[in-house]
Amino acid sequence: MAEISVPTLILFIASIVIAAGVAGVLIDTVSGISNAVDDRGGDVSKSIKTDVEIISDPEAGVYDDANGTITLYVKNTGVRTLPADADAVDLFVDGQYQTATSLQVVDGTEWTPNGVVELTVSGVSLSPGDHRVKLVLDSDEEVFRFRTS
Amino acid sequence: MGFGVSGATAIVFLGLFIAAGTMFTTTATTFEQVDEARDDRQEQLLDRRNTAIAVTSAVYNNTTSTLNLSVVNEGSTTLSVNGTTVLVDNEYDSTASARVDGTAATDLWEPGETMTLNVSTSEPARVKVVTEYGVAETSQVTVT
Repeated sequence: MAEISVPTLILFIASIVIAAGVAGVLIDTVSGISNAVDDRGGDVSKSIKTDVEIISDPEAGVYDDANGTITLYVKNTGVRTLPADADAVDLFVDGQYQTATSLQVVDGTEWTPNGVVELTVSGVSLSPGDHRVKLVLDSDEEVFRFRTS
Repeated sequence: MGFGVSGATAIVFLGLFIAAGTMFTTTATTFEQVDEARDDRQEQLLDRRNTAIAVTSAVYNNTTSTLNLSVVNEGSTTLSVNGTTVLVDNEYDSTASARVDGTAATDLWEPGETMTLNVSTSEPARVKVVTEYGVAETSQVTVT
């Protein structure tokens, strides 16, 4: 009797251990995938809720050639509060990435929906002619074109 | 042996159930979140399509140094006065002192109503009014 029980017990323990291992790995992997799906969902919903518009009037002179600055007003036309931080905004002037940008909320403390920020780019030297500014915030891209004289 | 196999099967199935449960909960929450965001966005886009404004007069008075601005809500959406942005020569101006059909203490700018705003400024050339949905109207300023 003992000769049958010991191998049976060993096999029983081995199968339980393997099954537990398989189940553990499965749960772990699925948890990882779930977390990734959750993160991605958060990102997607954030980018759907994000929308900004460059509201400056190109005719009214956005470029100040005496100081070499471009002043743009950007309105939050989305449905979520955006970070009022120049690092959150990527700005290109004629295809060149600008690092000297500053961002300031003009109508409050936070960049809430409907809120406007003043975006200033300094150290820009533009020749007379057509120019293009591209603004990227999260997944939203805006292009603003203007002419300097 | 027989008990071992059934025990192992039970454990694997339990694992599968837990994994499926976790996956289902997360996926459902995520879809709900994305759906909600899309709903919000679509509602806003509908409002945007129903929005139209027109600058009826932009007159600068040289004697008093004030710009008198009248803008009509020509759409079918009620707009917010505080959500509206006025740029005079690419300079931001607060709409806090705006009046809607003569009423100062209101944030609502209903369809058909006229918003008037007096801005003290040096002689401007252009004015731009932007609604909360990004619908904008520009106008030249008449000097009197």
